[in-house]
Amino acid sequence: MAFEKDQARAMEKARRVKLFAHDVHGVLTPNTLYCDVEGRKRFGFWHVDGFGDLSLKMNGIQVIFLDSTSVGDEGFFRAKELKMDKTYFKVKDKAARLDELRREHDLDAADTAYIGCEITDLAVMQAAGFTAATADAVDEVKAAADWITKAPGGRGPIREICEFILRAQGSWDDWVVKVTQMGYK
Amino acid sequence: MTNADRSVELAKQVKFVILDIHGILTDNTLYYTDDGIKSECFSLVDRIGCKALMEAGIGVSFLTSKVSRAMDVIGEIYEVPKELRWGTGAKIAKLDEYQKETGLKDEDFCYVGDEMIDLGVMSRVGFPVAPSDGAPEAKDVSAHITRAAGGKGVVRELAEFILKAQGKWEAVVEKLS
Repeated sequence: MAFEKDQARAMEKARRVKLFAHDVHGVLTPNTLYCDVEGRKRFGFWHVDGFGDLSLKMNGIQVIFLDSTSVGDEGFFRAKELKMDKTYFKVKDKAARLDELRREHDLDAADTAYIGCEITDLAVMQAAGFTAATADAVDEVKAAADWITKAPGGRGPIREICEFILRAQGSWDDWVVKVTQMGYK
Repeated sequence: MTNADRSVELAKQVKFVILDIHGILTDNTLYYTDDGIKSECFSLVDRIGCKALMEAGIGVSFLTSKVSRAMDVIGEIYEVPKELRWGTGAKIAKLDEYQKETGLKDEDFCYVGDEMIDLGVMSRVGFPVAPSDGAPEAKDVSAHITRAAGGKGVVRELAEFILKAQGKWEAVVEKLS
């Protein structure tokens, strides 16, 4: 099914974002689980998505791991590597947690953003302001989202949506200059 | 009745889904590390598929002839009970045994298989299903072929298909969201 999204409207909503939350599997990973015959598990994360989260943080937008589906500690390890300040794993009611978090920071629902991929994300997407779906999200999520990334889960949707938010807020070009001076790649 | 209508009719009857592991839950690829450890690749979206089926009261089991610890690890993650993770090459005998135990009939079962070894069970059950990249023989005897290939969300897709046929999908979405 093809879903048409209004870019101007999506950017308008993205302009307000001060807090961005996302899940682990299906967004940071392609939902793939490698399990060896001894029972050891492996998950693949997309390297450059970490740069997306960092870009938001450096531009004053809070990034939060708000996960309901992690299997073990894979999300925790990834978050540690990325030096995330706030992480919530295996959360039963993500919508309620997002509400709580934004109230703590005195934010409106419209100041929050969420990117999802599965039916388990529908409730929290209703509680968020600006919402995005990955390219390979299920139809229900794509229909509910304000924007759909070109990248599927585990292939850079966070990097893409972070750029979208910073462009909407007019801070992307300055950030590119700053990064260039910092010598990041 | 078209083939599509027929598969919806058959899906309505399903009370229990038996999943082959290799080629269904996995993409049929074996990954070897340098030290010779074999890995297989599973899809986490199938966890949602299993969960959705069980939420709606439909039983889910694994049935594989190649047993490894991966079956138990995946069973824990997908929340398939230990007693329903069946490791045996005698797939038809296992079906007989479970039917005797539960009183379920052939037409209550869906079996998802991709290879010739599955043909015996597939020709018995009411709703045999193959993945898009299954062997031609398996596809021939199946009542439904998923768009997804093995290891790429076969169970997620099938669960939605069965639950929509049974009119239970929306309630499950509500419950899981």
